[in-house]
Amino acid sequence: MARPLGPVRLKKTNPVTIVLGAALCIFILYFLIGPSTSDFSPARKAAAALHPLSPPTSPFRKATSTGGKVAPPPVIHYNLNNVTISANPVQNKENVLILTPMARFYQGYWDNLLQLTYPHELITLGFILPKNKEGNAATTELQKQIAKTQKSGPEKDRFKSIIILRQDFDPPLPSQDEGERHKMQNQRGRRAAMAKARNSLLFTTLGPSTSWVLWLDADIVETPRTLIQDLARHDKPLTAPNCFQRYYNTDSKKMDERPYDFNNWQDSPTAQEIASKMGPDDILLEGYAELATYRALMAYMYKEGEDIHQEVPLDGVGGTALLVKADVHRDGAMFPAFSFYHLIETEGFAKMAKRLGWQATGLPNYKVYHYNE
Amino acid sequence: MLPFTSSSGSKAVPRHHVSGYSNGYPRGGNTFEISPHRFQPRGTTPASRRRRRLLLRIGIAVAICGLFALFVWPRGSIISLVSLGLLSRGDDFQLETVRYYDLSNVQGTARGWEREERILLCVPLRDAEPHLAMFFSHLRNFTYPHHLIDLAFLVSDSKDRTLEVLSNNLEAIQADPDDLQHYGEISIIEKDFGQKVNQDVESRHGFAAQASRRKLMAQARNWLLSAALRPYHSWVYWRDVDVETAPFTILEDLMRHNKDVIVPNVWRPLPDWLGGEQPYDLNSWQESETALALADTLDEDAVIVEGYAEYATWRPHLAYLRDPYGDPDMEMEIDGVGGVSILAKAKVFRHGVHFPAFSFEKHAETEGFGKMARRMDFSVVGLPHYTIWHLYEPSVDDIKHMEQMEQEKLAREAEEKEKAEKAKKMKESFGDATSQWEKDKTEMQNIALQEKKKKPDTPGGSTEGKASKDKANTPAPGSQPAGKESPNGPAKVVARNEKKGGVA
Repeated sequence: MARPLGPVRLKKTNPVTIVLGAALCIFILYFLIGPSTSDFSPARKAAAALHPLSPPTSPFRKATSTGGKVAPPPVIHYNLNNVTISANPVQNKENVLILTPMARFYQGYWDNLLQLTYPHELITLGFILPKNKEGNAATTELQKQIAKTQKSGPEKDRFKSIIILRQDFDPPLPSQDEGERHKMQNQRGRRAAMAKARNSLLFTTLGPSTSWVLWLDADIVETPRTLIQDLARHDKPLTAPNCFQRYYNTDSKKMDERPYDFNNWQDSPTAQEIASKMGPDDILLEGYAELATYRALMAYMYKEGEDIHQEVPLDGVGGTALLVKADVHRDGAMFPAFSFYHLIETEGFAKMAKRLGWQATGLPNYKVYHYNE
Repeated sequence: MLPFTSSSGSKAVPRHHVSGYSNGYPRGGNTFEISPHRFQPRGTTPASRRRRRLLLRIGIAVAICGLFALFVWPRGSIISLVSLGLLSRGDDFQLETVRYYDLSNVQGTARGWEREERILLCVPLRDAEPHLAMFFSHLRNFTYPHHLIDLAFLVSDSKDRTLEVLSNNLEAIQADPDDLQHYGEISIIEKDFGQKVNQDVESRHGFAAQASRRKLMAQARNWLLSAALRPYHSWVYWRDVDVETAPFTILEDLMRHNKDVIVPNVWRPLPDWLGGEQPYDLNSWQESETALALADTLDEDAVIVEGYAEYATWRPHLAYLRDPYGDPDMEMEIDGVGGVSILAKAKVFRHGVHFPAFSFEKHAETEGFGKMARRMDFSVVGLPHYTIWHLYEPSVDDIKHMEQMEQEKLAREAEEKEKAEKAKKMKESFGDATSQWEKDKTEMQNIALQEKKKKPDTPGGSTEGKASKDKANTPAPGSQPAGKESPNGPAKVVARNEKKGGVA
């Protein structure tokens, strides 16, 4: 049967079709406007770098395909005389770089980072992960959490910028298990690799605007929310809190805590003497019964109920949590991957800082907590 | 059927039907009527009316949504949506806050320019304005792809216009019409360290000032590097601003060796009176037993500096091993390096090697850098026969010597000038006389001839002759032609003789 065209066809249009069409339109609209839903405030945009070739501590403008020639990067002036490092970093809007060598991802670590009260738009995070199976898994986990925070999270939670590096050398040990990791004969290689990882992370991310560097291990799962402000308040070149670990005490049948980081110490004559008899490449490690150094360990200086802002001078520091003035690193203080005065990694760092005229300080009553596996 | 009829009354046909269809045509009923003479609007069927209303509602909803969107995403996005992104404005951009880098991609290889490996070119500057023009001519000539080179300058404690000249030059490069001239990231970093040591050549190279000066230099280098090194750099090239001559291909030439740290030989040209050329950079050397023994005797903060009599180290220096005709690719293992031109893999710096601003194994700055690199098992190599030339800046002694030489030269010149003048005068007074005589003779002969011809009609001749006779008291040289004396001729000759007589 011949049927007239046009009106009849229109008459046949089902409202369902129109609804579908509208839905499709909204879908397309969403993708046209969509990306800008995770947009930043104008203040943050104004502070962003103009070109992807820029200090990684700042976000940059995504390359827009304008069709024409891409303009060469501009000439940028940085006046490092104006970068303040003060006891009141929030008021002076000082940039903090939190650096974390990461082998495993702990959700507790990330949650703890997010709850820090220091303004997140002044915090840059830097991670370095090894290129092995464990590292890949940790990277995936980390990127998932980063995407959640930076793309869809509230703007006050979003960090200024985040750098993820993959290590260019293999970790010396196949496993990062607690027992294996702490065996003395494995320590040297492990700490040398750790030192290289820390240096790689530090010197590629420090940039020209950082005021403070906070070294925070990936297994630090609990800190006071005002960690950065509290440590910076002391206005010391190197400030180390005391690192503890919560565990289930089988004797008293309840949760308890014990000292964890033994690399924060004051030197002893015994240690000096042992060191003087060592070969030039030997290193002196802390926390092993085979090598009694009689150094005064900050881990045991904790006194319950005393002032959390009590200071003690230190000769060796651990890297679990450590706030460093950026100038110390800029002067060249790094983590020796070789025997430096018979010290290595963070302990060697404290010594090198001292050679450059910077003294380390410990806060025995200010606690941060290590993950317990 | 029944309830309907009962409600509309008893009449069989409704009234309005009668009025509406009273044109003689029968109403309805006749289903088989095909007459075209009647217009009947197809009318507003409930279905189409519903559709129209639906469209209207959708339209209103879209408009509200649009307004809402405009309210939520204030600027840009809606306009770019309407214009399909063709009218996007300059300030409409997205932020990227996450960067991911795999450091195993930036290890540095022998043919970096093919793998697009980025180089960080570091230049520490202090009061360097006079050298900048020369430096920028080098910069324009590098054959390594410019877009792969990131430039970083540290301007510290400068009292001249270094900063201004530097940024003007850099902006000129980035605005160059030739795209190949454009460099990558360019950072100018300002930081004053409170320089106490003077920067002039004498105080710069004085022995006493060396240790603290080298530590300050090291500090400046570390600040520059830590502010400028990025995760995407494969190489770091340190270059002093006062290099006068270097091959344009130096980056590729050094890179080809694929060493962790590599330096060329550095010499400087000298004026001829100082021998023409001289080794300049004595900081590239191989360690010696003597120096190690010396190091053990020094205290913790002492710094051994090379090239001073106070520390006789007996080290083989890269500079002294140069053979102008030697193979430029020849390598030599060294322990200390000089800072004039260092190419190093970025991983050396990433792993923590830096310029010690303290005494590291009794060395500081670039020498300490070489030592530390060796300590971390990196290869440190010098090229004894591949030479670049440092600018010659005369030392105070040289300047004194040159001033003395200049004075001597001036004295010599004055003397020579005087001599020349004397000789000229001598020549004028004696040597030239014969030709003059010849000339005068011929002239006189001519005049004599003319006079002979005109003799009868020259009445004034006697007076002239008298005047000339009055003046001719001084004795003329013996070759005076006697015979054909004319009134005009002798006058000239006498005048000349008079003058010469004064000298004699």
